[in-house]
Amino acid sequence: MKTSVSASQAMAATSVLGDLRDMVYEQFEYREVLRQMTLRDLTLRYKQTVMGFGWAVLMPLVNTAVFSVIFTRVAPLDVGMAYPLYAFCGLLAWNFFASALRFSVTSLTSNQILVSKIYFPREIFPIAAVLVALVDFAVAMVPLAALMAYYHVPVGASLVLLPVVIAIHVIFTAAIGLLLAMGNLFYRDVKYLFEVAITVWMFATSVLYPVERVGGRLGTLLGLNPMTAVIDAYRSVLLLGTWPSSALTSAAIVSIALLAMAWFAFHRAEFAFAEHL
Amino acid sequence: MARSAVVVEHIWKKFRRGERHDSLRDLVPSLVRRALRPQPATLQREEFWALRDLSFTVNPGEALGVIGPNGAGKSTLLKILSRILRPTVGRCVLGGRVGSLIEVAAAFHPDLTGRENVFLQGAIMGMRRAEIARKFDDIVDFSGVSEFIDTPVKRYSSGMNARLGFSIAAHLDPDVLLVDEVLSVGDAGFQQQCVERMRQLIARGIPVVFVSHNLPAVLQLCTRVMVVDHGTVLFDGEPSAGVAEYRRVPWARTTHAASHDARGIMIGRVQLLDDRQTDAAVFAASSRLTVRIGYEARLPVRGHFAVDIYSADGVYCAGINSRMDRRDFGVLSGRGVVDLAFPRLSLLPGCYVISVGILDAQGLGPLDVQHRAYPFSVASDERDLGVVHLERAWRHESYASVSAGAPAAGGLE
Repeated sequence: MKTSVSASQAMAATSVLGDLRDMVYEQFEYREVLRQMTLRDLTLRYKQTVMGFGWAVLMPLVNTAVFSVIFTRVAPLDVGMAYPLYAFCGLLAWNFFASALRFSVTSLTSNQILVSKIYFPREIFPIAAVLVALVDFAVAMVPLAALMAYYHVPVGASLVLLPVVIAIHVIFTAAIGLLLAMGNLFYRDVKYLFEVAITVWMFATSVLYPVERVGGRLGTLLGLNPMTAVIDAYRSVLLLGTWPSSALTSAAIVSIALLAMAWFAFHRAEFAFAEHL
Repeated sequence: MARSAVVVEHIWKKFRRGERHDSLRDLVPSLVRRALRPQPATLQREEFWALRDLSFTVNPGEALGVIGPNGAGKSTLLKILSRILRPTVGRCVLGGRVGSLIEVAAAFHPDLTGRENVFLQGAIMGMRRAEIARKFDDIVDFSGVSEFIDTPVKRYSSGMNARLGFSIAAHLDPDVLLVDEVLSVGDAGFQQQCVERMRQLIARGIPVVFVSHNLPAVLQLCTRVMVVDHGTVLFDGEPSAGVAEYRRVPWARTTHAASHDARGIMIGRVQLLDDRQTDAAVFAASSRLTVRIGYEARLPVRGHFAVDIYSADGVYCAGINSRMDRRDFGVLSGRGVVDLAFPRLSLLPGCYVISVGILDAQGLGPLDVQHRAYPFSVASDERDLGVVHLERAWRHESYASVSAGAPAAGGLE
């Protein structure tokens, strides 16, 4: 135990393999900090807001109602199922992604004191942000279940893949979150750029409508978006009772590769964080 | 128990002066550069070395005091030791769990209760949940805020905050301890707790690195002193010799250049001399101490010299000045020295610090002052309590023949 600790604390510039070992070892060593940081943010939200977790449910519900009016009355859209179901499921998954990233972007810059004064792996900040959003996501699953019961949606065997879909979703989100947190520390513009990008990205994803209807070259381009594969996979396993399409496999590979790259870059850059705040 | 140590090998650290004006356009290239290649070891424009080729080892049982003027690189060193910064060149290894009495309440969130913050700060300091839960009652008792443990810390006074944070740090069982100026926060009682805790750890053989401006505390606690200036080690060795070396670092350069011209006179080199007229930091209670104050006067000026002695815990032990002593040194011009000699120190064993000042002719305003700049310690076998060793004699007379019930006749028992 002692020797491995001191080995991980050798602060010389080390090899890639050494870095990888550090990255994994540190996450294990500091798991209690991740737990406490996540708990802290959840407790704070519960204390600071009257509605607490209610907000996690309210936003997608309101949006679902608005878009249901638009896409059932103004411009009727056939999505192969009851539109509110389609939209709520999409918004729920998207909301997890967007809010996890929104917390991640500022996770390092809003914890300046901790970053510049105490050492622990800085990955913990964006990862805790993702975990907090994941709890909201779990809470918002409750009204989805109610909605499914209301529309008499049968539960299929493919539901067993739900944890896999969530895992891919979390991996992809964490990868982007790490990059954004690091980016915003070095360049504060990233926060504003993010707000623009996330809005555009939502309409480029099958959140409110099937994006493959776009067609043409733009449609092909949008087909590369891993978030569409992930959100469609939620609908397959939850609402349609079918197995996710092969696009989810590609999304999984992209997510894992991206997380590995993002994490590695983050780890290599984190020693410069305290100097840049 | 495995003994660990601190090993620092040839560390260099560079910083950049002024602000960075990075544009978003450089984001991707710079991230790629950072990810692929560590910082180059040569100075670019606007860069400077904050630490230059620092090497030292702190063995178990050693307490290393790091002293030096502001901007010497002490804080940078501490940040590298606590892994917040990474050295540009070189390596440093700390064995085992590193405890630090630095920023003991940094992780506190104002909206969380004391209880919640104990778990958060404890985790950040490296404690497991079970360990915190086990020590929780002790932590709270020690901090003295048990009544308010379920109150959000935003309602705490800054002293309560510091006490709770310190209490968590004190219950961590570190393998290496880093300390930064904690002794300067909190009231006297709190400072005493800090000192006690450090002593316990030192006695247990934990290597300690103590960065401080508080020279008496350094003399009191450390087994070794390192003097750092301009990012390099000037001295590494015995504490009193280290403090003497530190006094030779020219003060005027850093603190007094400004007052010099305005007032016409400044304090030069100040020495604490023992019986043999040599520089010393430790004095026997019965020995002679001479404070030799060098001065440099640009303009002819009349002035008085003042010396104040404080104990390490801040008690004002003595205030002496030449005006009250009716000594007139006449008009001072050019360079000179004034000696103030104490034939017998009469102070109890412990650490003290001297302030030196030159006052104007009326003895009112200071022309130049160096507050608490010259520490020394007193060694003796005296067991008295308090501050001074009073000359005394005991006498006893017995009136055993006086009839019972009569009050003792004011004699000494």
